[in-house]
Amino acid sequence: MAGVAGGLADALGISDGFVRAAFVTLSMVWGLGVLVYLGMWLMEMDRVEDVDPVEVAPHQAVGLAIAFAGFLLFLGAAGWWPSNALVLTVGALAFGTAALTDRNMPGPLAALVDPTVARPGRLRMLVGVGLLIGGLAVFSANVGPIYEIGPVLLAVALTGIGILVAFGPWVTRLARDLGTERRERIRQEERAEMAAHLHDSVLQTLALIQRSDDPARMSILARHQESELRDWLYGNAPLEGADLVSTAMRDAARRIEADHQVPIDVVVVGDHPLNETTKALLGAASEAMVNAAKHSGAERVSLYFEADRDELVVYVTDQGKGFEAAGVTGDRRGIVESIKARVERAGGAVAIVSELGEGTEVVLRMPVSTG
Amino acid sequence: MSVRVYLVDDHRLFLAGVRAELSEEFSIVGSAYDVDTAIEEIRGLNPDVVLIDVHMPDGGGIAVVEGVAETNPEVKFLALSVSDQAEDVIAMIRAGARGYVTKTIEPADLADAVRRIDAGDAVFSPRLAGFVLDAFAGAMPSDEDPELDQLTTREKDVLRLIARGFAYKQVARKLNISIKTVETHVSSVLRKLQLTNRHELARWASKRRIV
Repeated sequence: MAGVAGGLADALGISDGFVRAAFVTLSMVWGLGVLVYLGMWLMEMDRVEDVDPVEVAPHQAVGLAIAFAGFLLFLGAAGWWPSNALVLTVGALAFGTAALTDRNMPGPLAALVDPTVARPGRLRMLVGVGLLIGGLAVFSANVGPIYEIGPVLLAVALTGIGILVAFGPWVTRLARDLGTERRERIRQEERAEMAAHLHDSVLQTLALIQRSDDPARMSILARHQESELRDWLYGNAPLEGADLVSTAMRDAARRIEADHQVPIDVVVVGDHPLNETTKALLGAASEAMVNAAKHSGAERVSLYFEADRDELVVYVTDQGKGFEAAGVTGDRRGIVESIKARVERAGGAVAIVSELGEGTEVVLRMPVSTG
Repeated sequence: MSVRVYLVDDHRLFLAGVRAELSEEFSIVGSAYDVDTAIEEIRGLNPDVVLIDVHMPDGGGIAVVEGVAETNPEVKFLALSVSDQAEDVIAMIRAGARGYVTKTIEPADLADAVRRIDAGDAVFSPRLAGFVLDAFAGAMPSDEDPELDQLTTREKDVLRLIARGFAYKQVARKLNISIKTVETHVSSVLRKLQLTNRHELARWASKRRIV
């Protein structure tokens, strides 16, 4: 009723009518079927929607039937057995009805009048009718011993079967519709999440740009937003590559770009995992970028990172005013010293080439072990 | 007579912007927002240079480049995109585009790129240079045509300088060669990129897609 029978039927690859019949039969044994049903209902909460029914070979179906019969015998041996007649009757009736009312087969009446209906359908129908008649026969032969409870059980069984026949397919369809609805809801949630993301990022930036009257600032905001959105769209999410030098370099460049209002073009060739050595390189590169952004007066800065088999090279290039090595003083000198110290401590080398009026290039080299 | 330029981009706003930037120097003979119109009109107008967006519905820029190449092989394409996706850009170049620049390019640089493409040169933005170095990096030459499958040291030097943000003129000065030589190197890289069938390129592209 809650989709358990249908789900189990899909999983086993047999008709849900038979599964329902098995549950009804088991219910006759001290309500076992109901318990099993409830248990499975609790477990199947996360059942995948719309699993394609597994194709089952005839011998597998027979195997399942034998297993079920064996299970009943075991219950009998264990003493949990109300009466042969009762179980046989209900079982025969339930399975007979299931054979006749399978949702995947043409109606039994159609099979009677239309000879073109496939033979398995007719065979099933014959077996089903046989089971029904047999069940009724067993029931009437034993009507004496279970006389007192017989009519009640019969009424219950008939009602159950009636509900099964009338509502089984409808319940199945309802379960399908629920699945479709759930997918639709997931889709809507995704859309809402996307809208929320765009609102927090793109729309905010657009608002900032509209309110800003400084073209340089507008351009920076737009660039920052562009790279962020691109990462989000194309899945270069910071989390995924967080342990790679390339990602860390891009992030650092983006931050510095935003802080100092100078565009930084990043080009990366190859990659390397982030570790103590490469973190030193990253720190030095960041300082070089800040230095270029703050002091060079250049309109843009280039960061080029290349990972070779045994060496990482970083070029931080600007085409600003440049400087003479001897003329470096104060804050600027400190930065240069700090870059050198960092890289050299980690085993690398630093070269700074600068020409007055031509710009500056800081070259950082770091040997790495192959890996 | 000024260079005849045709624009293809499905973003009308961007297209209008480019048109305004370029119309002073070049004669914009037409524009299209979709692949089919673009192919039809370019075949009829036979412009000198086509600025083409990489990402468009119905096959994108590649469909246009391939569609036009059959009938009008003399039309030259410059790919223009916001895409950072290396495989898209490389695929565009392999389809026949003579260069690739990002849409954030300065108007003056864009005009310069159009002139260069019209003159038959290749136009490599820093980013494309990076992509190409990455694609050709660290691989052994295949047996079939080792010359096509590897970049020479000089070509790599040129690409690295372009990737570091230097203009052709500065590259030439740094390497003590003429601008013409720089252009020759870049064109040679472009030819290798278009003709090589080295499997590393495919492998590289598929690796990129995962990352």
